[in-house]
Amino acid sequence: MNKSLLRAAVAATLSLPMAAVAADSAEMAEVKRMIEAMKADYERKIDALEQRLQAAEQKAETAQQASTASADKGRSRMGALTSGTAFNPQISVILDGNYYQDSVDGGGTELLGEADGISHVHGGDHGHGHAHAHGGAEQGFNFRSAELAFSTNVDNYFDAVALLALSSDGTVELEEAYFQTRSLPYGLKVKAGKFLSDIGYANNQHPHNWDFTDQNLAYLSLLGGHGLRDTGVQVTWLPDWEHYTLFGFELFQGEQEKLGTLAEVDEHLEEELDDVLGLEPDDLNLSGEKDGPRLYTAFVKYAPDLGYDHALQLGAWGGWADQHQEIHGEPQGGVPPFADTPLHALEGDAWMWGLDAVYKYDASGSHGQGDFKLQGEYIWQRKDLDVVYHESAGIIGQDREFTQDGFYLQGLYGIAPRWQAGLRYDVTGWTNEKRSSTNPLANDDWDASDRWTAALTWKPTEYSALRFQYSKADIMVDGASNDFDYFYLQYMMSLGSHGAHKF
Amino acid sequence: MEKFRLLLTLLFVGFLPSSALAALDIVASSSSTGALVRAVAGEQANLTILAPPDRNLHHLQARPSMIRALRGAELVVALGAELEIGWLPLAINQAANPKVQPGKPGYFEAAAQVSLLDTGGPADRALGDVHPTGNPHINMDPVRMAEVATALAERLAMLDEEHASDYRARARAFSKQVEKQVSTWRQQLANPPGVVSFHKDVVYLLDRFSIPNWGTLEPVPGVPPTASHLRAMIDELRGKNGVVLFTTYQPEQAPASVGEALGWRQVRLPLEPPIDADGDGYLEHMQRWIDALTAAG
Repeated sequence: MNKSLLRAAVAATLSLPMAAVAADSAEMAEVKRMIEAMKADYERKIDALEQRLQAAEQKAETAQQASTASADKGRSRMGALTSGTAFNPQISVILDGNYYQDSVDGGGTELLGEADGISHVHGGDHGHGHAHAHGGAEQGFNFRSAELAFSTNVDNYFDAVALLALSSDGTVELEEAYFQTRSLPYGLKVKAGKFLSDIGYANNQHPHNWDFTDQNLAYLSLLGGHGLRDTGVQVTWLPDWEHYTLFGFELFQGEQEKLGTLAEVDEHLEEELDDVLGLEPDDLNLSGEKDGPRLYTAFVKYAPDLGYDHALQLGAWGGWADQHQEIHGEPQGGVPPFADTPLHALEGDAWMWGLDAVYKYDASGSHGQGDFKLQGEYIWQRKDLDVVYHESAGIIGQDREFTQDGFYLQGLYGIAPRWQAGLRYDVTGWTNEKRSSTNPLANDDWDASDRWTAALTWKPTEYSALRFQYSKADIMVDGASNDFDYFYLQYMMSLGSHGAHKF
Repeated sequence: MEKFRLLLTLLFVGFLPSSALAALDIVASSSSTGALVRAVAGEQANLTILAPPDRNLHHLQARPSMIRALRGAELVVALGAELEIGWLPLAINQAANPKVQPGKPGYFEAAAQVSLLDTGGPADRALGDVHPTGNPHINMDPVRMAEVATALAERLAMLDEEHASDYRARARAFSKQVEKQVSTWRQQLANPPGVVSFHKDVVYLLDRFSIPNWGTLEPVPGVPPTASHLRAMIDELRGKNGVVLFTTYQPEQAPASVGEALGWRQVRLPLEPPIDADGDGYLEHMQRWIDALTAAG
């Protein structure tokens, strides 16, 4: 375009004066020849110029290409060498919300958390225990959590995972954050950080992986809303044996809600102690927090090879807490008989064991149709405590032995592609007692609480799930039976990287 | 004392990694990769297959038996391209076996050895369960599988130099066999029918033999067929000559309704060869798919 315009302009400029020149033909011819020569000369010069321009343009273009290419590779000559965002961890966000209704004006989840047992005796607790029941639901809409999960291999030695749960009121809870080795020999793996213990079958599952909306009663009453989760170290060993056998051992700091909880004298209690009894917190005779680790667990899992259609995994575990403290009752003042439970403090240790079994049938149908899963766990807890303070001084020094167990059995069946129906029975407190060898009058027994739950889950894709769940519970609180029912309509949406299908 | 020593020896032998006594311990994710292992490694492989042929490889769980098999493995052979993403990485991770981690010589992904179809699509899950890295169902293309066998022979040669020439010779023999078979199939499929499949799991087969691909019953990958999608499909294909292909774990209602409306045959075949298949078994399995296409012609 430029080239032809330029040529036309030059030709026009040169030919204009030519028309004005008079008729002398020789002169004319001479002039013509000169003009032709000039024209040729100009054209040559213009061509040369154009070539130079073209070359320059080409040079500029290649230079630009080169610079974009190097920018693509993060190889800008001005900046530092970088690999950009390619090393970002796998990220996913799981939204978990529900619509909830119960027959006790929204008191359902609170009742479930208060079932009579060794953690809920004579009312007022002053433990570490959270006042809230995990996932406690109000009548109507609830947003349980948005769980952020980051995971990747750190280098060729370690994998790391971080999971944060954001609740609707904006609080952030560190669900798990740990690293695990990836290249130890002999089937060994070491994990450290804050993590869900691998005891039992359901303990290491996050709420969005549960087959039912809420925690089973056995875990809720004996381990807490999110199971046994703590800061510590885990070592597992998977020997190269004919059948899958996994051994594990864990050391935890002991920051627990149930097993190995530590009592804390809050401001309110401190004030009451002073006002009513004229005592200092130290007068409760509770010892100081022992150095960690204070909680130990060991577990074994065994899975015989039953072919492609059937799978069975059996597990057994034990847990031991070095230090366990509780404060109960309210300062009464005066002398017995007291109107309410008098203030007393207990200290000792606690231990637990559990058995778990899960059987799965893979029907090879479309999207889980015909698949079946049966899972059950039994857990047992004992607290061996001594009364270290009591308003009736004579009771101080007596022993108290608390025992409680829990059980659940749940089945899940793929009734159609992408549809699962589930049924669960859970109970806590078949054994539910307080015994004292030094004072049989202190013995006590509580009744068991149980519940039936049915759920229907639809998983349109691997990334979304909708669930309807109905439960009918009979929960004992302060010796009185509370019959109630409730339902959840739950959604779970998984954004981001593809999740793993854990056994 | 003698008895005790014997017991100790027995225990010790029992704990030895099995590789010290026998061939390479190889784990294949599926029966098609298993068939390649048998074709290339022959007697030198002690093979375990993680998933039987009638399962949807995208929806398995990391079962303890898989973790057990991976624990002592010296080589894992997967189809790859994220087909087994839900369970194989987790099973490998839990197996506590550094030898078979991705990136190590003990990890072999078939899809990483060949060119892939359907690559580079948008990473948008509204478009279904998409794999921007490419369609992972390469086991449906015998030619690509022969290329994988050649690459597998090299990997085996790296892990077990002693038998390197055996591996290479077997891979060459398999490639020749495939070459011969494919040219026969090409002649038989000179005038192929069009194909409607349930899922995008036969694209490599169709592409290899230039068979018209008239779409899938799933509106987008991994999403069940909808009535409106099937109606539109039937309207579009009325009067044409084709066949409906689907596999064992896919429901038969949609293939039946489309097949009957169009007067087409519906053929349900496993995507994976029988669990005990070797190279021959794999080709016999592919022959069934070719028969399904030629019979409809």
